[in-house]
Amino acid sequence: MTRPEASPYATVMDDSQLTGRPIVLAGAGPYGGDLEVPEPLVTGAKKWSDVDQDICMHAERFPTKRWWAAFAVALTLLGVLVVSLVTLLYAGMGIVGVNHPVGWGTFIVNFVFWIGIGHAGTLISAVLYLFRQQWRTGINRAAEAMTLFAVACAGIFPIIHLGRAWFAYWLVPYPNARGPLWINFNSPLAWDIFAISTYGLVSAVFWYVGLLPDLATVRDRATHPWRKRIYNALSLGWNGSHRMWRHYESAYMILAALATPLVFSVHTIVSFDFATSVMPGWHTTIFPPYFVIGAIFSGFAMVITLMTFMRGYFGMKSYITLNHMESMAKILMLTGMLVGFAYSTEFFMAWYSGSEWEGFVFKNRAFGPYGWAYFIMFTCNAIVPQVFWWKKLRRHTWVLFVVSILVNVGMWFERYVIVVTSLHRDFLPSSWGMYHLTKWDWSILIGSFGLFFTLFLLFVRFLPVVAISEVKGVMDPKVAKSASTDADLAAPRAAQEA
Amino acid sequence: MFTPVSKKGVLGHFCEPDEALAAAAKVRDAGFTHFDFLTPFPIHGMEEAMGQKRSWIPWATGALALCGILFAQGLQNWVMIFDWPMNFGGKPFWSWPSFIPITFEAMVFWAALGSALVAIAAGKRDTVPQPPPMEIETGATVDRFVLWISATDPKWSESGTPEFVKGLGANGVRLVDLEGGSDV
Repeated sequence: MTRPEASPYATVMDDSQLTGRPIVLAGAGPYGGDLEVPEPLVTGAKKWSDVDQDICMHAERFPTKRWWAAFAVALTLLGVLVVSLVTLLYAGMGIVGVNHPVGWGTFIVNFVFWIGIGHAGTLISAVLYLFRQQWRTGINRAAEAMTLFAVACAGIFPIIHLGRAWFAYWLVPYPNARGPLWINFNSPLAWDIFAISTYGLVSAVFWYVGLLPDLATVRDRATHPWRKRIYNALSLGWNGSHRMWRHYESAYMILAALATPLVFSVHTIVSFDFATSVMPGWHTTIFPPYFVIGAIFSGFAMVITLMTFMRGYFGMKSYITLNHMESMAKILMLTGMLVGFAYSTEFFMAWYSGSEWEGFVFKNRAFGPYGWAYFIMFTCNAIVPQVFWWKKLRRHTWVLFVVSILVNVGMWFERYVIVVTSLHRDFLPSSWGMYHLTKWDWSILIGSFGLFFTLFLLFVRFLPVVAISEVKGVMDPKVAKSASTDADLAAPRAAQEA
Repeated sequence: MFTPVSKKGVLGHFCEPDEALAAAAKVRDAGFTHFDFLTPFPIHGMEEAMGQKRSWIPWATGALALCGILFAQGLQNWVMIFDWPMNFGGKPFWSWPSFIPITFEAMVFWAALGSALVAIAAGKRDTVPQPPPMEIETGATVDRFVLWISATDPKWSESGTPEFVKGLGANGVRLVDLEGGSDV
């Protein structure tokens, strides 16, 4: 492939011209050596004003047929969730598979699955921000939205797992008329309440703060007075003043610095739910890092799934380029190997600990009645991502899409394996049993996807799906600036007055 | 909310961040204080060019984080030791390691939410007198780096300031007077 004329501003490339390798400027480096500059993050010779148009367009026009079709499917699934939850609350826990000896079933599996999905959004928005990974700008807005919606889905499950969901507010420590009856602060389940609610709220604030300048952009493009008014209120009257940017940037950095340990703490605390119980297969110190890595792994898979749709259906190929997808594929492969390493370490420790119970649980996990689930988990999570050793496959949309789906299947089964295999073989063989999913277990799981996609589709309908102000900041001003004259400035005003 | 409104001043825009930076330093050196740059994205080094100090938000974050820690420690210790002591296998009531996770979460919660609120309020407070954003079309959220000098500035002069802004190389320099309606 021939490259376009290389110059210090070799920033005009098409998505199809990207190679994922730096552009070599022969003799342009120090002491006459070669200078390697990264490929542009935004392709297609976009101007700053094009960014507004390309991204805001989806929130400004009547939704396409495709959007309505997707929304109809998502709403149907959401309906399935609502019917299932109402039935569950009306009929009671007996309708799902949770029973002796497996008292933690799909609710906990789904809870850990969804909360894990959320983690990649925070990782992209906060950790990659701190590491100055500029490619995050193309995907961070949608990934953060994904976090919020995944946390919303996750939040349902601990509440219905309570059995009497209408007493969920008892989990909140406040002076009450029940004694006062306080929660037990020594319990990891109480820590969970704090971790999940803090995570949800801080993610929402981080996302909203990032949205402020873009909401102002949408406002300034709006023509209908009510639309202007609503977006102005939402943007808190943002006008791009540098006296605001000064504090804004400081606060954004701090939010990133706070969200980074927060995201690690949340899944650590989720893993404490398991690790602090004296149960073979759960009572291990590897759980916090193992869970956090798994969460990032599954979340990145979900980001790849969503970004594939955004590239294909929303024409975001200039902002979410193949280079972005390749970077995510690399993270997927790395975290996949770490997850595989954790699976192996668990086995080693089960043998090395000399504990009969641990040894049995792990032999049973891989070769017992749930061996098929373990096989799905290990194949999807540790083996399938190995395809990303090949650059060609990292940059192949269909390969990325299929792998991202398989990884999320694998990660759901990972939680299934962890929850079910430790419980289904009790210490007494007389208490052994199996866990059978009923149709209600399935309908609640499938319905939760309906909630997730309904929220996500509403997000792409009403809000800028790419962080406009951040993307503008990483574009080359020489290419992106407006060819502005005084006449240009007068034009929109004249048009408005006319 | 806090933004003082000024209906009179001069606007001019630049097309590149580097030009805006250079212009900001000149405006600062000319002694103006009621001036501002409205930009579509933050420009690195603009704080210094506009003569501003580093943002003090981190100090607020620190104070808020401390509040969060004290709140969580206070609540957990009071509940678990005094108000509702529970005996778990003879373990001490003051089981401080298990108070750590909630303390951490409360710290993050207070610091993050508080910092966001403080930063927005502080930004509004620091804003120089300027017209409400919707009454004036600037393109500052699109692709222009807009310089605004308010007529409330002590160094303001009716004829001199627009000339000064033109001299900086700004495009589309115009006098804004929303009261009088004149638009040069």
